[in-house]
Amino acid sequence: MVSLRDLSFSWDGTKPILEIPSLELARGETLFVRGSSGSGKSTLLGLIGGVLLADRGELAVLGTSLSSLNARARDRFRSDHLGIIFQMFNLLPYLSVIENVSLACRFSAKRTKAAIAGGGVEVEAARLLEGLGLDRSLMRRSVTALSVGQQQRVAVARALIGSPEIIIADEPTSALDEAHKAKFIDLLMSECAARGAALIFVSHENSLSDRFDRVVDLAELNQASQLEPA
Amino acid sequence: MPLLTLLHIAFRSLLNRRVTAILTLLSIAISVTLFLGVEKIRAGAQAGFASTVSDTDLIVGARSGAINLLLYSVFRIGDATNNVTWETYQDIVARPDVAWAIPISLGDSHRGFRVVGTSGAYFEHYRTGDHLPLAMAEGRAFDGLFEAVIGADVAGALSYQIDQPIVIAHGVGAVSFANHDNLPFRVVGILKRTGTPVDRSVHVRLEAIEAIHEGWSGGAAPRGAKRLSADEVAALDLEPESITAFLLGLKSRIAVLRAQREINEYRQEPLLAIIPGVALTQLWEVVSVAETALSGVAAFVILTGLFGLMTNILTSLNERRREMAILRSVGASVRHVFVLLVSEAVILAFVGAVLGLLLVQLVIFVAAPIVVDATGVHIGNAGLTMFDLQTLGGVIILAGVLAGVPAWRAYRQSLADGLTVRI
Repeated sequence: MVSLRDLSFSWDGTKPILEIPSLELARGETLFVRGSSGSGKSTLLGLIGGVLLADRGELAVLGTSLSSLNARARDRFRSDHLGIIFQMFNLLPYLSVIENVSLACRFSAKRTKAAIAGGGVEVEAARLLEGLGLDRSLMRRSVTALSVGQQQRVAVARALIGSPEIIIADEPTSALDEAHKAKFIDLLMSECAARGAALIFVSHENSLSDRFDRVVDLAELNQASQLEPA
Repeated sequence: MPLLTLLHIAFRSLLNRRVTAILTLLSIAISVTLFLGVEKIRAGAQAGFASTVSDTDLIVGARSGAINLLLYSVFRIGDATNNVTWETYQDIVARPDVAWAIPISLGDSHRGFRVVGTSGAYFEHYRTGDHLPLAMAEGRAFDGLFEAVIGADVAGALSYQIDQPIVIAHGVGAVSFANHDNLPFRVVGILKRTGTPVDRSVHVRLEAIEAIHEGWSGGAAPRGAKRLSADEVAALDLEPESITAFLLGLKSRIAVLRAQREINEYRQEPLLAIIPGVALTQLWEVVSVAETALSGVAAFVILTGLFGLMTNILTSLNERRREMAILRSVGASVRHVFVLLVSEAVILAFVGAVLGLLLVQLVIFVAAPIVVDATGVHIGNAGLTMFDLQTLGGVIILAGVLAGVPAWRAYRQSLADGLTVRI
């Protein structure tokens, strides 16, 4: 699914802040990437997401070399194949819950098509939200009326709609309290499994790692000197 | 698809910031109202100006400046430097190419309104606007020596009815100490409103002007036995010695230039003949400088409104980095971010400009009849003009161009931030 080889990235072209000899992600695999801030995790996600371009090395997602695509094509590629969940504030405050979920389909014809095959964008969005334990009555509501935990689940629904192959979650649980963390990860993993999506989960919280197929430590993986601008 | 999506997002985002959005929108609306309002008043004034006198081929007076002659003969502003003798007048009227002539004798007033000594030809041949003859609202044209016909403004301002006795003052001040009070006039007719200086004139017979000045010397009123009564005056020979100016209608318009040249070369007396349309255009060029200045100011007000719009978007950028990162994460490109911000500006400018357009129509629609009634000045008509649409388009395009500044900043910011959510 994702294949990195001798990847190197620097902001200024001289001093690399990320150097990864090798990293592989298999279809449907769940990968826990342990990384504290400054370990280069934002850079890694930017590279896989196609908003950053490596100086050297090979980065293939779903068999496509990202360096062979131009910026627009990488944006389209991201919208078609990746679902991204942030730490917090994942949602546009001026759109309703259901509009935030269907936003992912707005930029991707492929995911729109997939959602329509599942009964329509809104039907699919509603089904995902229900599967994530969000009541139907919330769907037309403003997202600002939701709790942080509910907002993160809406973000998961948005990442999953239209069945992208890879889900990237960047510290999605850090804003949740302990009781909700485990439940959130269970939901995320079961939904990914149900849709056959691979999951890259980046977090500094070690306690969560034992639920994943594989764990890598970014500090060990990254050969570059450990100084990323915070 | 993405463009519609972006427009939708832009709209919702603006709705989310509705207070600043509405204020920005109003500032654009008001500036557009001002700009279009100035233009409409200018167009109305120009049309009213051009329609002050029509169907007159030549205006003839003593030699001075063309604009001066036009001002005192038609606009009844200022004074003639010299008169035209009655002999000359008769000589020129006798030309074979002259169809009609209206003599005009100025110099007196009634409570601030100019008194025009003229003949019955005035009511027959004077035309304003789109070839409109003068029409009576009440009464009839003058016939007797001490009968007066007043314009609509005179009647309105002084609340005069038919049969109102009036006294004519010597000179043209609003307050006069030398009155022709031994020879009062009587109002016999009130003209319909024309929207021209005719509305502000008191018309009497040429002979009456002669009559009331009988016995005057050097601007001093006659005393004692020289003060005549109406009956005594009527018995006199009242053929005027001179008049101030006269309007000519020719039998053929083709003859205008030749007649003008020949009158200008008249040997017995230095005369000036002007073509009203040409002189009106010259005068308008003088007057329109002020209008152009006003238009310029209004244009800068629009520019200020648009700079406000630009500033508004620019200051919102920092707090919206998260919004941009979210859009990027679902697949929006940096170009989409650029387009999103330009769309916001265009939406605001479009709604603002349309609002301004409606506002100016409403103001003109409501105010125009009131202003015409009060001042006789046409401030233009409601209704969409080409200029309105051009302004609308110009404001929208300019907003789009100016929005390029914040949009470019957001583009750079978004490129640097990538998928990092900064707060």
